[in-house]
Amino acid sequence: MTDPVTDLVLLLLTGFAVWTGWRVFRVDSMVRASFSLMLSFIAVGAIGLLLSAPYIGIATVFMMAVEMMVMAIFMVMFMMNPAGLNPMMMVHQHGVSIAAGLAAFLGLGAAILLSAPPSDPVPPQAPVVAQLGHELLGPSMLIFETAGVTLLATMVGAVILSSRQGRHGAADEGSRPPGLTAGGAPAGRTPGEEGGPGHHHHHGGHG
Amino acid sequence: MTGLLVLAVLATLLAGTCFAVLLDRAQPALVAEFFRSRVETEAPDRLNRDLAPAWYLALAAIGLSVVPFAPGLALIDSPAGIVIWGSCEALIVVTVFLHGWAPNAPFPLIGAYRYAALALPVMLPSMFVLIAAALPAQSLSLIAIVDSQREIWNVIRQPLGLPLFLVVALALTLRGPMDYADGADIATGTSAEESGAARATWYLARAAMLVSVSALAATVFLGGPLGPLLPGPVWLWLKTAALMALTAWLGHHVARPPPGRMLTLLWIALLPLSFLHLAISGVLAL
Repeated sequence: MTDPVTDLVLLLLTGFAVWTGWRVFRVDSMVRASFSLMLSFIAVGAIGLLLSAPYIGIATVFMMAVEMMVMAIFMVMFMMNPAGLNPMMMVHQHGVSIAAGLAAFLGLGAAILLSAPPSDPVPPQAPVVAQLGHELLGPSMLIFETAGVTLLATMVGAVILSSRQGRHGAADEGSRPPGLTAGGAPAGRTPGEEGGPGHHHHHGGHG
Repeated sequence: MTGLLVLAVLATLLAGTCFAVLLDRAQPALVAEFFRSRVETEAPDRLNRDLAPAWYLALAAIGLSVVPFAPGLALIDSPAGIVIWGSCEALIVVTVFLHGWAPNAPFPLIGAYRYAALALPVMLPSMFVLIAAALPAQSLSLIAIVDSQREIWNVIRQPLGLPLFLVVALALTLRGPMDYADGADIATGTSAEESGAARATWYLARAAMLVSVSALAATVFLGGPLGPLLPGPVWLWLKTAALMALTAWLGHHVARPPPGRMLTLLWIALLPLSFLHLAISGVLAL
């Protein structure tokens, strides 16, 4: 890391990552926030390339692009402002957020200042990608496979929970929407308000 | 040598784009389009609207620059070359989405979301197919993947690979059965509100992307620059041109199913098929 050009690129990438990370909370739309976060991670991936971790750096770009796109899809499925073009507030729970941010900043800052980071340059000809592969499918296999299967189970569970079709019928049938005030009566129309049970199935799916 | 490779990538992209434009049934009046004025939409996201065609073009160029033009010779010679291509694929989906999201208008937005929902499941078979091709080479480097095909091309060793990757190619170039972004059924979708230079650039970027995807498919499945008598780059160009023609032909002749049916097809048929392909390739590569 004595090369001044590398140092300059590293500084610029770090600045870009921090700036786009800050933009995530300043923009007024979910789409802009998602893709600002993606840019931030792409800068971090490029720093990975500089740190002689080509696979991790490039895979970060790949994973984050897919992940942010999935987020946009989930947005249209679950959010009230699906298009993401209407202005909306991107920050909430100010007190907790400020406390968490300060604690993380002080903790990470202390970790950097108080610990002695290792100086162990990678030789240019080292087969780093192969070494990473041997590590992932060797000593660390149990950890990564456990994490992978847990994530997969979580995803399958989330899809099952959010899916409309279920073993006991459509998910929106017989369910009660939350009240407009805390502990208040459920919002929207109540079952049996129009027609009665005989007509019920005609309205299914649009609740 | 690097200068020569930069030149080769740019020349291939340029000549290939012209060829791709000729392969299309109907071309827009490209020269006239560049001088036409732009139609404005209400409150667009200007940054993404203006930059999306450029990003699409840039991703085509980056994708092509990992392709070896001769055995052992690529502009971006990375030990994880195929993952670079994978990143380009993922960013293409983001770019097409932003291209439709940015104008803030109904048809482009429908195209954007429809494309994102259908292109994401296409990413999975794409990754399985590319990883399967990396198995016999025991490397993620495209140069090693070319070298592993000296005895037998991957298209014969892994017969499901190329057909599955052609679906990916159709999705990435927004063509025929996978054109859920710019389809005629939603008034050209993400391009519906676009006119002038931006529309022409988007069209050219789609043509350039066909070159890039086909060159990668030629490298991974048809041995890339390998071949007798003729020099490496010529073989790569011939194979790329053949795959471009095949992809364009498929785009013209295969019907586009409704999005819901295509989504079922992708998750229920294509994904297990690609997983089977990966399993078979893995056993064969042992």
